[in-house]
Amino acid sequence: MTETLVPQGAVPTAQSLSTQQALNRAMRDILASDPKSLVFGEDVGKLGGVFRVTDGLQAEFGAERVIDTPLAESGILGMAAGLAMAGYRPIPEVQFDGFAYPAMNQLISQIARTNYRTRGTMPMQMVLRIPSYGGIRAPELHGESIESTLAHVPGLKVVSPSNPHQAYHLLRKAHEMPDPVMFMEPKSRYWNRGDVDFDNPGDLAGSLVAHEGEDLTIITWGAMVAKAVEVAELAAEDEVSIEVIDARWLKPLDEEGLVASVAKTGRAVVVHEAPRTAGLGAEIGQLLTERLWGRMQAPVERVTGYDVPTPAGDLEDEYIPGIDRILFGVQRSLEY
Amino acid sequence: MAERSFPLPDLGEGLIDATILEWLVEPGQWVERNTPIVEVETTKSAIELPSPIAGTVKTLHGEDGDTVNVGDPLITFEVSDDEAGIVGTVPQEQKKERRVRLSKKN
Repeated sequence: MTETLVPQGAVPTAQSLSTQQALNRAMRDILASDPKSLVFGEDVGKLGGVFRVTDGLQAEFGAERVIDTPLAESGILGMAAGLAMAGYRPIPEVQFDGFAYPAMNQLISQIARTNYRTRGTMPMQMVLRIPSYGGIRAPELHGESIESTLAHVPGLKVVSPSNPHQAYHLLRKAHEMPDPVMFMEPKSRYWNRGDVDFDNPGDLAGSLVAHEGEDLTIITWGAMVAKAVEVAELAAEDEVSIEVIDARWLKPLDEEGLVASVAKTGRAVVVHEAPRTAGLGAEIGQLLTERLWGRMQAPVERVTGYDVPTPAGDLEDEYIPGIDRILFGVQRSLEY
Repeated sequence: MAERSFPLPDLGEGLIDATILEWLVEPGQWVERNTPIVEVETTKSAIELPSPIAGTVKTLHGEDGDTVNVGDPLITFEVSDDEAGIVGTVPQEQKKERRVRLSKKN
């Protein structure tokens, strides 16, 4: 299913917030309405999170529901697993994408498969918040894009919001879902403001059209959505009409939504920050090929990070797809 | 706006406190990161401490001549809600700049 973006400022119940504030508000509303919900992670309590996303939550809901953990991601996710088994609905945080690696055993060996293992009698309802991707000049292991690693694990769902409205409502929705949801927050977009319409979430399933167009579809997610929309606006100067699809849900992928757009345009470019090999660009390209073989005007192009460890801040502009690299990808598809 | 407080840091050499010689900033003043904010004297030497962040000074915890223990509050800043996290920087809005032009195949 696809839907169009909620028009900015059109609805009186909307409020202008940054993504950071929208996520904070979502957790406040969850903690206030669901006594089984808990927020925990490194520095989420007293400090309010390194990005202020959990600011004020411990003061409002107490140190027994908003918990500062030791610096041990395996322990954070181990605790989340136990709490979910006991019927709680935890919202753990790993402070940065690269810090999820020490917790992979808990995620893959326990959290992802406990419901399967128990024949559906023990759902592991939780949302793991992962500040993700690059763009803030951070050190190594603070700018990773691990969505394909997570999407490859049966039992996990993966979602990545791209603006404050999506951040608020997708976090609320993820909290209501029966499966463990990996919630990948684009940290370079934490400070960007947009209207959050609390009463009108819109369709929260699948992808959405972030920019309408006719000649070519760019499929992306997270922080790259804003960049793809910029590319679409520049392409219009060259009389090339680009549709930008914000995939949002990366596991499961919105097959029908992606296919509908590319069936219309005939060309697709997938953009992601993650390394190219075995990235989600390959999965989406194959999915489109299966469904639209013979109907596309060009092979699915990929504009991605390189097959190297995500570099530290000084080199990240060379690594993360920029406007020109995306335009080159678009041109390769147009020229085919 | 949010507040952030900083304690007297461990100045090394096993020293447990320091005496404020002179504040170099005053409440209401905007300071950049690494601007000297206070001169303190330990039993070893007198040193200037740099500001750990950019922000507006809200409170000075102590007056000239007071002794402050390592770990006790030294200074409180008022900072914008849009401040960067503890790691990294807030990305600046960049102008859309391009070198690549597109052309449709004829």
